[in-house]
Formats: sequence, C-alpha cells, structure tokens
Amino acid sequence: MSVHRLAGLAAFALLLGLSAPAAAQTGGASEGIVVYNAQHESLGREWTDAFTKATGIPVTMRQGGDMQLANQLIAEGAASPADVFLTENSPAMTLADSAGLFAPVDKATLDQVPAAFRPSDGRWIGIAARATVFAYDKTKLSEDKLPKSIMDLADPAWKGRWGAAPAGADFQAIVSAMLDMKGEEATLAWLKALKANALPYKGNSIAMKAVNVGEIEGAIIYHYYWFGDQAKTGENSNNVALHYFRHQDPGAFVSLSGGGVLKSSQHPKEAQALLAFITGKAGQDILKNGTSYEYAVGKDAASNPKLVPLSDLQAPTIDPSRLNSRKVTEMMTAAGLI
Amino acid sequence: MTLLTIDGLGKSYGHTTALDDVSLRVEAGRRTAVVGPSGSGKTTLLRLVAGFEAPDAGRIELDGTIMADGPAHVPAHRRGIGIVAQDGALFPHLSVAENIGFGIPRGTPDRETQIAGLIDMVELDRAMLERRPHQLSGGQQQRVALARALGRKPRLILLDEPFSALDTGLRENMRKAVARVLQAAGITAILVTHDQTEALSFADQVAVLRGGRLVQTGAPRTLYLQPRDRETALFLGDAVLLPAHARDGHADCALGAVPIRAERQGRVEIMLRPEQIRIVPADEDGTGRVVDIEFGGAVCTVTVALEGTSLPPVAIRTSSLAPPALGDRVRLDIDGAAHVLDADGADRPPAP
Amino acid sequence: MRHDDGSFASLPPVDGLAATGAMLRAPRLPALLARHPLVHLAAALVALASLVPLGFVVATTWEVGWDTVRELVFRPRVGELLVNTALLEATSVPISIVVAVALAWLIERTDLPFARLWSWLAVAPLAVPAFVHSYAWISLAPGMHGLWSATFVSVIAYFPFLYLPVAATLRRLDPAIEDAAASLGLGPWRVFFRAILPQLRIAICGGSLLIGLHLLSEYGLYVMIRFDTFATAIVDQFQSAYNSPAANMLGGVLIVCCLLLIALEALLRGGERYARVGAGAARPATRRALGRWRLPALILPAALALLTLGVPLWTLARWIVLGGIAIWPAEVLVTFAQTMALALAGGALATLAAAPMAWLSVRAPGRVQRVLEACHYYVGSLPGVVVALALVSLTVRYFLPLYQTYATLLAAYVLLFLPRAMVGLHASIAQAPVELERAAQALGRTPAQAVRQVTLRLAAPGVAASLALVALGITNELTATLMLAPNGVETLSTRFWSLTSEIDYVAAAPYAVMMVALSLPLTLLLHAQSTRVAGQ
Repeated sequence: MSVHRLAGLAAFALLLGLSAPAAAQTGGASEGIVVYNAQHESLGREWTDAFTKATGIPVTMRQGGDMQLANQLIAEGAASPADVFLTENSPAMTLADSAGLFAPVDKATLDQVPAAFRPSDGRWIGIAARATVFAYDKTKLSEDKLPKSIMDLADPAWKGRWGAAPAGADFQAIVSAMLDMKGEEATLAWLKALKANALPYKGNSIAMKAVNVGEIEGAIIYHYYWFGDQAKTGENSNNVALHYFRHQDPGAFVSLSGGGVLKSSQHPKEAQALLAFITGKAGQDILKNGTSYEYAVGKDAASNPKLVPLSDLQAPTIDPSRLNSRKVTEMMTAAGLI
Repeated sequence: MTLLTIDGLGKSYGHTTALDDVSLRVEAGRRTAVVGPSGSGKTTLLRLVAGFEAPDAGRIELDGTIMADGPAHVPAHRRGIGIVAQDGALFPHLSVAENIGFGIPRGTPDRETQIAGLIDMVELDRAMLERRPHQLSGGQQQRVALARALGRKPRLILLDEPFSALDTGLRENMRKAVARVLQAAGITAILVTHDQTEALSFADQVAVLRGGRLVQTGAPRTLYLQPRDRETALFLGDAVLLPAHARDGHADCALGAVPIRAERQGRVEIMLRPEQIRIVPADEDGTGRVVDIEFGGAVCTVTVALEGTSLPPVAIRTSSLAPPALGDRVRLDIDGAAHVLDADGADRPPAP
Repeated sequence: MRHDDGSFASLPPVDGLAATGAMLRAPRLPALLARHPLVHLAAALVALASLVPLGFVVATTWEVGWDTVRELVFRPRVGELLVNTALLEATSVPISIVVAVALAWLIERTDLPFARLWSWLAVAPLAVPAFVHSYAWISLAPGMHGLWSATFVSVIAYFPFLYLPVAATLRRLDPAIEDAAASLGLGPWRVFFRAILPQLRIAICGGSLLIGLHLLSEYGLYVMIRFDTFATAIVDQFQSAYNSPAANMLGGVLIVCCLLLIALEALLRGGERYARVGAGAARPATRRALGRWRLPALILPAALALLTLGVPLWTLARWIVLGGIAIWPAEVLVTFAQTMALALAGGALATLAAAPMAWLSVRAPGRVQRVLEACHYYVGSLPGVVVALALVSLTVRYFLPLYQTYATLLAAYVLLFLPRAMVGLHASIAQAPVELERAAQALGRTPAQAVRQVTLRLAAPGVAASLALVALGITNELTATLMLAPNGVETLSTRFWSLTSEIDYVAAAPYAVMMVALSLPLTLLLHAQSTRVAGQ
C-alpha cells in the first residue's frame, strides 16, 4: 500500500471516527450534558438513554470509580467539563460537597425523595440504595453457622474463610458506617483483622464468584450482584445465598447512591432535569424493572418485588453526610489494605 | 603405517548419491588432499570421517579402531579428530586464549603453558591471546582455529577448505605455514579443497573426487603428468589434448611425432601440459600460425592455430621476453613425453 | 502488547551509512548540527517531550518533599509490591527463557516434524492481548490467582518475545561452530551449553528485557488473575484518589524498576558483538536427528500451542456461541470504528514524530544524536499507567485546555509507541542511502525532488510498517486509554475491560475477537520479517 493511500485512509478514518464523539461533545455545548458516572455503567446507560429519549437532551458519560471521579472533580475545579455527578455510595458525594463543588438541587426534585435519603444541606440527592450482605456458599455454611454481626468476622476462627473487595468504594462506604457507629479504635482493630483473615478481591462480583466456586465460604458485598447474576445465567451465583445481618448491625448498612449538579456546570437547567428524571417515577421505575436490582428511593417508588423490602432490613440510621471517606482511606492505608 | 582406512564408503541424501564406493588409505604423518569440483562429495567425505554424519555403507578405520561400519558410528566428539573449517569457526563469545583452550580440559596442570605453546606454534603473537575473534584478520583466525584443533593432540586433522576465504597472497603464505606446523607436529592431515594448485602443492598424496567417486589417487606429480582421463587432466591444470596414432613409443599427431611412454598402438588421445611445449619460429617447417598474443607480465599467452587440422587453436604460456609476432609461422617442440590418456578418452572420434 | 519491537530497538545505528559525514575531514559536532538544523530541532523537541514523564515524577518528588516521599515510598505496601514484582520477574523470565530456547532449538535445529507450522504457531500468541489470555484462563479455571498463576499466564502471553530473537539467532548461527566444538571432544549436551547457548546471549538478553518491561507495565492480566503489581496498585490509587501523591510516588518507584531492568540488561549483554567471523558463506545448518525422540519431542510445541492458542480460541468460541447474535449490537461497530480512527491517527502521528530522529540516526549519526535517540527509546519502555498519570496531572494543573482531549491521548500514544515507529523507519531509511539521492540530483532533480522521488519511495514500506505496528499497540492499549480518553470515547480494549470488570464475559467476547482479528495479520508480518532478516 502506498504512503498516499495510507495517509488518505488515516485522514478519512480520523474524520469519521473522531468527529462522532466530538460532535456529541461540541454539539453538547448548546444542549447536551456531561455526566461523570461512578454508578454501574449499565444502570447509568439505562437512565441516560431513557432521559435522552424523554427530553431530547444528549448525554455523554465518563465512567470511573466513586473516589476517582470525586477527586478528579476536585482537581478539575471550576474548569470541569462535568455537569452531573452520579455515585454508587455517599462518601464520594460528601467529599465533592465539602469541596464546595455542588449547586443546590431543585426544591421540586428534593421533594421527590424522603428526607432520610438525602443530606440536610440539599446539595445532592439520593438516587438509589443498596444493602450490605454476607454472600455465602450454601453448600458449606448452614444458617446457624453464619456470623451474627459483621464484627464477628474479625474472629480468628474466620481466618482464610471470607473475602471482600477492600480497594473498592462500596466496601469503604461500609467501613465508614462502621466508623460512625463503633468509633475509630474498634474499626481499626476490625480492619487489621480483615487484613489478617480475609482474602482481598478486585471487585464485588469477583468476590461473589470466588464464593460460588468454593474458594472462600463467604464475602461482604452488596445485595444486587447476586440478583443480577441470578437474572442472567446464575453461572456465578448458583451456589451462593445471601445473609442479611439486620438488627441495626453495621453490617446491615444500607448505602445511598447519590447525584448532584456541579456548580461549574454550563447547563444547569439540563443537569437539574436529569436529577429530576432519575429521582422521578420514570427513573425509579428503571430500578424496579431494569437489570440493576438496586433499591428505589423515591417517595412512593417501589423496588423490584424480588428484593427483600428495604423496610425489613433493620438498617442502622446514619446521616449520609457524616460518612468520612478521607478518614477511612487513612485507616485502611494504616492497616496495610491499600 | 596406515592411519586411516576408508573402505567402500557410500552416502546418499534422498535420491542424490553424494559418495559412492569410496576407498582411500592415508599414511600416518602424511598430508593428503582430496580435491574435486563443488558437488563432488568432498565435504560429505570429510563429514563422514569427522563423524558428523554416519555413512550408509562402508567402513572407516582409524588407527586400527573402527569408527564407522555402515550406519553404526562413533560420534565426532569421541573420535579425536581435529577439524579446521573454512572460516575458522571460532567461538565468537570467547577470547583467542579461550578458543585455543576450548578442547583442553579445565584443570589440566599446564593448561596456560600449553595454550601459549600452541599460539607460538601457529606463529602468532602471544599478545593476541586476549583478543576476540572479530578483532583478528582472516589469516589470524585460521591460525587460531588450527591451534585450537592441535590443542587436543589429534591423530588426524581435517582441513575443510581453510584457505579459500583468504586473499591470494595470504593463501600461499598460510598454506606453507600450515604445512610447516603439521610437519613439525607430525600430524596426519587431510585437506579438502576445490583448488588444484593448493592440493598439488600441499599434499603428499592427492585424491581426485568427482561425482561422488574417487577417480584417481596418487602423488601430486604423478597425477598431474599422468591423469587417468581428460576430465582429471583438465581439472588439475591446463592441458593440450590431441588425437593421435600411437606406434612403437611414438604418437603421430598435429604436432608431428611425439614420444610416449605407453605401450599402445593405434588411435589414442594424448595430453601435453602447456609448459612442455616450446614455440620455435619456423617459417619453413612450421606446424602452425600465431593467431593471438596476450601480454600478461612475466609470461604471455600465445595462441597457435595448428595447420592442416580442424582442432581448436592451442594456447601456450611462454616467456614474455621474446614472444613471436602475430601471424608468425611457428613450430611446437615438445619436452619429455606425452601422456596417453586411458581408453575412454581415446574412444572419441579422431580428427580427420 | 507493546515493546515487541525492542528486539530491533537495540540495533546499533548503521555506521556505514554516515554518508553525509564522508566529506574531506571529520566534521566537528557543531558543523554536523548546523547541517540539518531543522531536523535536529524537531528530533530534540520529540526527545524533550519523551522526558516529560520522568521529569514529572522528579518534579513531584521534589515538590512534596522528602518527608512525604518517605511516608509514601517506605511503607509495607510498597515493600509487598516490590517483592511481588521481583518474584514475578524471577519466575516468569527464566521460565520463558527455557521454554523459548527449547522450542526454538527444536524448531530450528532438529528434524522435528512440521517445523514450519510450529514456528508460526509459536509467534501467533502475540496476536492475543495479554489480558485476553488471562480472561481465557479464568473463564476456564475461575480459581486461578496469585504468583504462580500470574507467572503461568505471563509466560504464555509473552514467551514469543523471546522465541522470535532466539529462533532468528539459531537460524543464522554458523553450524561449523557446533562441528568444531564436537571435534574438540564435546558431547551433544555440552556442545549446546558451551557453544550454542553463549551465542544466544544477546538474543536472550534482549528478549528478556522486553518481557521484563511488559511484566512491569501490564495491568489487565494481573487484575484478572488477582496479583498485585505496581501497575495495578497505581490504578487502584488512581481510582481511590485520582492523581494523588501516593500514585505518583508508586509511579516513581516503577520508573526506577524499569531503568534498573534496562541497566541490568546492558550489564549482562556486555559490549560485545557476536558477529559471525570470517567471510565465507555459511553452510545451511544440518538439522540434528532426534531419532526415537522425534515423536515425544512433539509434545512441547503441541502443548504450548494448546495452552497459548487453544485455550483462548476455545474460550472465545464458547462465549461467542453462548452469546449468539445478541452480543453484537451496533455499538460494537462504533467502538471498532473509533478504535481504528484512534489507532491510525496515533500511528500516523508517532511515525511523523519518529521520522526526524530515524533520519538523523541513519544519515548523521554521532554522539549527540545517540543521546537523542536513547530518549526516543527509553520512553517506550515506560508503563502506560506512568505516562498517563503524568499527562493527566500536567494537563489538569497547567494545560487545562488540553485536558481530556484527543491531543493528550494521542500524545500519550506517540510517547508510548515511539520505539515501534523508529524501528520501521530506521530500517527503511537505511534502505535508501544518500548516494541514490545524489544520483538523482546528478540526473537533474532538485534536492526536494530527489527526496520525494527516491528516498520517500524507498522508505514507504517502512513507513507503512511503523504505522501498522503503532496502530496495533494502540488497539490493545488499556491503561493510558482508560485514564486519558476524552469523555465518551472508548476503544475495543477499554470496552472489553469494563465488560469483564462486571464479569459479563459473554458480552466482552466480541471485543476480544476483534482485537485478535486485528492483531493477527501484524503478528504474522512480524514473523515473516524476522525470518527474512535472518536471510531465509
């Protein structure tokens, strides 16, 4: 192939390929919005696709982890291209909020969600919730052998028998709840026991898979990984059952996913519209009918009937804005977990 | 005493016969040259003797021990036969000293002395011991390769065209040096080459190999002056081949009556080496006419068309001091006797 | 899938072609520089850019101060990672050497049946990106994790990097050397260890360095196999705290590891040439008859082909069949087009950026040029995660308009794949000696015409090869793309990655298939080239 033809081909491909997303971006300067999405990509897409369909507002998503995107927003500051930030857990929202990045959420939107599922300052809002579970190998553990409290897993008897994904934001949210309820000393001791007893995995789904294949007897994860896999092939969860700690145990913690509009957004109207959509009936119905299996948090919104109702979980009551992610990261580093 | 006996050796690669029923004796302490054009099987013969390959048929016996008997053979590393390859095949990752000492077991008491002695023997400066092969000239590499082979005190050393990669002047030098070293060490050697001058000047015994068969074996002089057939004659040097009619110690040919040694009668083919022929100016009784003169420094080549015959013109090298002129009539005088080639040469149709 | 060019990267500049310097006297340095000021300027700028990642880490270290550095670097976690890295290198590299040398020897120097077939199959695993290898294996054996699993998959994914140079060296090794060693009393085994193996040293060193650097920079493979290395830890940090000092310090330690490996290789290789000495044409090597081992010897190449190709292909086929038509949404094609666009753009840019240096190193070699060239090569040995981290931090802090743009992503690609671009260009510019240009001028062409009509024509295949090599690297690149891609941009590898992260292995399969399909022709080209270089 000659240089000319190669160069021509490259130029053509450049125009074709690079212009598509670029158009979405520059076109977005007039009406489209950029969402930094730390929620599962699939759920993020379900929401934004439905939103675009309903409103005609195009959405560009940037995928990342809770803490990565929160820190990224802080680093970008006022120059951030993001309009909306969606997370899996509330600590990242608190972090961005404390950096003063959020604009107040529209009053009407706030009213769509009960006060328990949003911070008192109203600068972000709960969009979904997930419950902490102990996913266990039902061929190895009978119900009487299950831990009564998440704190019991620090017992040396559990050495090498359970796992978690300590580097993930999900687990760190659970730890922040524990910190809030049990205090620093007890939490640090528990983390050190975790370092000694538990097998670290890269993600919740991988930890569940390890339970399923018999590598470990149980793992601390969120509930929806199990439901999601069951809904597909069950290939990674057929040997797994879920244990809810209940009794206001730190292990019964229900984590709140949040959404917020960036103060620096050039399209605050469209950004607010997305939050209103997600917390509204259409958005919450996606949680009920979609593939995410997360809990709906809207007033009068129903969750998927397959789930254990939120009200039956006996979760501890924790103000989401009190969850301290920086402290947790520090303590986990001190325990040698990250 | 016979050191090496090769008997009925045969080797084929697929349908190609590389060697066919080759027999050869090599006397201890002597130098034998195996000469032949490329593809004649000489490298195969050498590889069989060295033990890199097994023959299909025949025996190789070294110093009374059977090295190969058909496909059963002693592998190369147990034969104690040295080899010097075409370009030395020095180990590029080792210094000269390490190369020379490669075959001498580590821990041999006077190893260093031996290595020094070997490099002296091949007439190289000891300062070269620390060098790497790529820092040496081609001739120096060959000397190192020879020293390396000698280090094992082999009974027999095989030289695989070791001079062919060298420049002309250097080649002669090396040939003499190697002959001298081998003579001094009293080591039997077989040289494989396609260069007949090299073979004739280097060896005590020359074996001519052609098409996988050994055509003729003997002393260099004998082979040169009395080759068995015309191919051998032409291979070993320039030759004037003439049809003749033999009778009572003479042969009648285009040059007149030429003495022969053979007791042959009737149609024969005779061979003369050009250096046997002298050009004598002869207007009267000339037998030919000078058709070309090529000046070449010390000698010049005079081409003479023989009269009264359709034979091709004869090229003769002669002193360039007083060459004849173009168009001169000349007579060709013969020194010594002409050699009568074997029947297969004589069977060719004679000149009318 | 980077660095597969490094075996060529260590080639010395072609001194014999210092044609422009062949004037009346040896030109002094300034004179040389003055002759091609613009080309030198361009090469110097690229070299400067290639120093950015290193400079960034040094500057960050300086900025945060010694106390923070000590706190972040001298902690147990870094120790763990160092031990992991050292163990991984210490197991994977030697095993790869043994496997590659044994395989290359069987294929090149014995009468192993179907040698040609095996030689293609030995290189083909390169067409499967490393993280697709691990994806295949954990699909098959979900429990795989830890050091030995990491070693196993690393060897499978990377041993061809050693096989290629070792086989090429074995192929052109003078067989007379083996004969000489045998005639000096060495049995077959000792001939191998004392005469053949030492001559493979340069090939083994080069290939090992390549593998060693890959082990340092690979991310996806070790995440899937659950083995922590610096690359995974940096991404972990990045995901928890973005461009934190902790991530940057880990990046610094990783750079030091890379430089140590390069220095170690230089030390082991030594300054020697193992050029074939002597001028005669080498006899083609006779292959050693394996005799009754001929059939048992087939086990090695067959088992390797099964492990390196059979498993990935079988796994992919299984997921594809399981997934059916549903896993081929239009999105797959969009991602494919986007990847191709990025790959070709990056390939063109990298080739363009490498051109001045490649030209200088052929036409005007010298000490200054050698230093500039070293900059071009070193940057390619850096892990993508380090380069990306530097560019993220620099753009977000100082060059915000460039932040999250194609420009930054492409700049990262250019830096990461600069050596690949150099390789093809260097060889092809050497194909066009200056004499030809002069001849064209003597025949009435202007200098510019001469360059266009002669040099460029001759260099064209090399340009194409450079572009293709870089494009292949970009197609399979993961970490830098994850960290730098503009909003909404995804490539085959990032899409594959996010799907496998949610253990949606079925939906990930089409992306893996496309990566393999794109890589295969280039891998085969690489094999063909390496055999041609060896003169066969």
